[in-house]
Amino acid sequence: MAESVTSNIREPQPAPAKEARFSELAIAELEEIASHYPERKAACLPGLWIAQREYDGYLPPAAIQEVADRLGLSYSEVEGVATFYTMYNLRKRGRHHLEVCTCLTCAVKGAYEVVHKLEKELGVHVGGTTSDGEFTLSEAECLDFCGAATVMQVGDKYFTQLTPDNVKQVIDELRKSPDYTPAKLADSIVKTLLPGASETGGGSYSVEDLKNPAGPML
Amino acid sequence: MPDNRLTQTEASLNPAVTQMVNIKIDGIELQVPKGENIIESAKRAGVDIPYFCYHPRLSKGDAANCRMCLVDVFAPRRAPDGTVSLAKMPKPQASCTLPADEGMVIVTDSEAVVRDRKGVLEFLLINHPLDCPICDRGGECPLQNNAIFYGAATSRYTEEKRHFPKAYPLAENVVFDRERCIHCARCTRFTEDISGDAQLGFLKRGADMEVGTFEHTAYKSKFSGNVIELCPVGALLSRSYRFKARPWDLHSQRSVCSKCSNGCNIKIDYRLDSLQRINGRINEAVNEEWTCDKGKFGHSYVSSEARLKTPMLKTGGEWKAIDWTEALQILVGKLRDANGSVAGIGGQRCTNEDNFAFQKLFREVLKSNDIDSRVEGYLGSVNKPLYERFGYHAMGNAIAELEDMKTILVLGSQLVDEQPIIYLRVRKAYRFKGATVINAVSSVPEDSPKVGDFAQLELVYKPGTEAALLKGILSVLSAEKLASVNGFAKGYTLEKAAEETGVSAEAIQQAARLMATGKLAIIAGREVANHANHLEVVQAIGDLAEATGNAQNINLPGEDVNSQGAADMGVLPDFAPGYAPLENPGKNTAQILQAAADGSLKVLWVAGAKLLEKFPNRELAQAAFASDTFIVVNELTMTETAQAADLVLPAASFAEKEGTFTNCERRVQRIHKAFDISLEIKPDWLIFSEVATRMGGGGGSFFSARDILKAISAQVPAYAGLTAKSLGDEGVRWNYPDK
Repeated sequence: MAESVTSNIREPQPAPAKEARFSELAIAELEEIASHYPERKAACLPGLWIAQREYDGYLPPAAIQEVADRLGLSYSEVEGVATFYTMYNLRKRGRHHLEVCTCLTCAVKGAYEVVHKLEKELGVHVGGTTSDGEFTLSEAECLDFCGAATVMQVGDKYFTQLTPDNVKQVIDELRKSPDYTPAKLADSIVKTLLPGASETGGGSYSVEDLKNPAGPML
Repeated sequence: MPDNRLTQTEASLNPAVTQMVNIKIDGIELQVPKGENIIESAKRAGVDIPYFCYHPRLSKGDAANCRMCLVDVFAPRRAPDGTVSLAKMPKPQASCTLPADEGMVIVTDSEAVVRDRKGVLEFLLINHPLDCPICDRGGECPLQNNAIFYGAATSRYTEEKRHFPKAYPLAENVVFDRERCIHCARCTRFTEDISGDAQLGFLKRGADMEVGTFEHTAYKSKFSGNVIELCPVGALLSRSYRFKARPWDLHSQRSVCSKCSNGCNIKIDYRLDSLQRINGRINEAVNEEWTCDKGKFGHSYVSSEARLKTPMLKTGGEWKAIDWTEALQILVGKLRDANGSVAGIGGQRCTNEDNFAFQKLFREVLKSNDIDSRVEGYLGSVNKPLYERFGYHAMGNAIAELEDMKTILVLGSQLVDEQPIIYLRVRKAYRFKGATVINAVSSVPEDSPKVGDFAQLELVYKPGTEAALLKGILSVLSAEKLASVNGFAKGYTLEKAAEETGVSAEAIQQAARLMATGKLAIIAGREVANHANHLEVVQAIGDLAEATGNAQNINLPGEDVNSQGAADMGVLPDFAPGYAPLENPGKNTAQILQAAADGSLKVLWVAGAKLLEKFPNRELAQAAFASDTFIVVNELTMTETAQAADLVLPAASFAEKEGTFTNCERRVQRIHKAFDISLEIKPDWLIFSEVATRMGGGGGSFFSARDILKAISAQVPAYAGLTAKSLGDEGVRWNYPDK
């Protein structure tokens, strides 16, 4: 009876398989952060950052489940938080996540030209990942570094004063770096949340710095 | 276990605060409790404030989503020189989260407020598809109503609305139309505050926001039907009612759910002779306004094709439809020939009137005391487990009283399945009143919601070791001098209990300490009711309750809709109505079945009891049905028990008759007749009465259900003075006369 009405519609999915991928360190970090608040719920955002680090830089369903289980929250509540904030990656990103600021100042200084150049260079549109899994290209809202527009964030580092002409150098340099930057970004954010943290581990670099042999450790 | 009890600030918005303040709403001066939400104060003043997201039973923390209840507020402000003047708050305020304070002046009909409401509705309707002609909610929709009274006639929005597939199957019984959703968060708050499974949440944000479950998994709740009624638009819809009727074509009848002993008040919505849907009806003492899915979606059988429409006689293994005259002739002939060798089982699904007529027929016309309403569980004298010691039979507390307990022990019960509405009260006590819940059970199911989700302590014991666990708790109470145990736990030690039950000694200790902190209610379930040593377990429960000073807080609720009423009406081998002891007790269910199996019983009348399905000793039940005993069954459909009988009489369901049910807390509540699906179907009391009349009348002949209720109130002390009128819409909870 009910079937005839709704037979053309996809039925709800079975629940995803559970995993427990938090390392001992990650669990200790989560407990440390949670201990600062009267309710464990309050550690939801840091928990998701830790999960984003532990689950290769993004939040698959299992990561959301693990955070919820560890904090005693419901899955849909944590999913709601994870889907609310754009800095949590819900899909796997490339090895380097290029986030070009296209807010006012950067846009005035030609951010879209940089974006178009990157699209051409990488062969993907904004939001896409290159077929070799090296780069994901995104637009970002203001990165709070307007003095050095155009700015691009890659993991925990900023590249500044970009133009369509010099952006290729950054790409080439990043190709050489062995890091997986989405996880590194998550790691640096987790570290700022822990007590006694002062350094973010990141930094900002102009293209000139790339030429310096003692330049950015990518 | 995380603590999801509401924090002090959130909870403090809920309980009545005693300090009164003077406020003024639209020129009406009134006194309200300090901290009460203005929207509630406005209701007292009779001032209408429109709203969508506000709901008095949900926590207020996440409300103020819809912005519909905006009002202008003037609050007193003290100048440096000490003069107090009224200052208008610069922006309109959401009255559903605005606590009342001394001297506040609220304006709900200013030009600005009228304009604000128009603006809010214009926003809410931006993405709403306005497909009212094909929406089930059309005609009873708060969004339609508010749009008529407070909305603008036109919208400035000309862009594309957002689109989603229609009728996404969210739950087994609920479909979800995301386009229509206005994001009021009533359903998400319901799952968090009331049912406790928290499966619905908001995903994404801004223009992309939608209600959903985790990763599009099914919304598996036992209370999912409530979100349909809570939804202020047509976004959440019943799968079985979808496109079935328009609300203005439905007739509604007040009734009581027949699915379990909690006795939820419901409305039967029907068209002609077919039941379309069940909605909850407000009764603060019982279900507040909630229903469980069993009750809301489990009544399709009433109008199903499977219903029996004529009496059926089995001849030579074949079923043959016969008319009532023939059926009654055969039955009366058999009863006459039996010459007193007759017995009756059942009545727990029947009304009090049915049961009263049943026992009158057997005791006064057929001269037999061999009747019993119980099919499962303890079959000895009903006075033994609790009455002789504490003066009550089943539930010491009213359902609503459970809210005020400090600690609640749920023992041997999958409470959410057995007593769904008691589960909701326990959850409310935990969430809104700060109660501590201890769940002691032998197996833990995976599904949410369940008591274990929010219990402070979960004691999983080996099946059958309830008494050992309770004695272990008593020994801790005694050893730590937490209560005067009166030697109840003599010779028992914590270690012994831990070993026997498989529960850790620390957990038993913790449980004991929690139980000694104040008002403790004990709710025992199926595992206790069906325990082989039922008396021993109840004895231990009684000891624990007495030791902690909670002798009146033991609860052993029955499970069938009228298990309480059937016992009250004396469908018991050893008690007349009102628990008056009989001089010559008859046989109980097991003994009756044994007699039938032995061939010493001529006629067995089964009134709706599912003997083959439920009686624990299935071999005995089968042997009884296979014997020469003539078995007559009153049933709605051809159940397994009916199939095995010789004569089946079509009985009326709760929707087709007048009468009263007594729920597990002894509340006598009326059901009203909604429709007849066939004139060949008779209420049970009428069948018993017609047989009694044919057998020579005696005290067993009645003209109507009301007639029987009169007899009941005259003959059963606890029901004295009850009339159809005095029961009203909310029923009356009877009390033991000596209390």
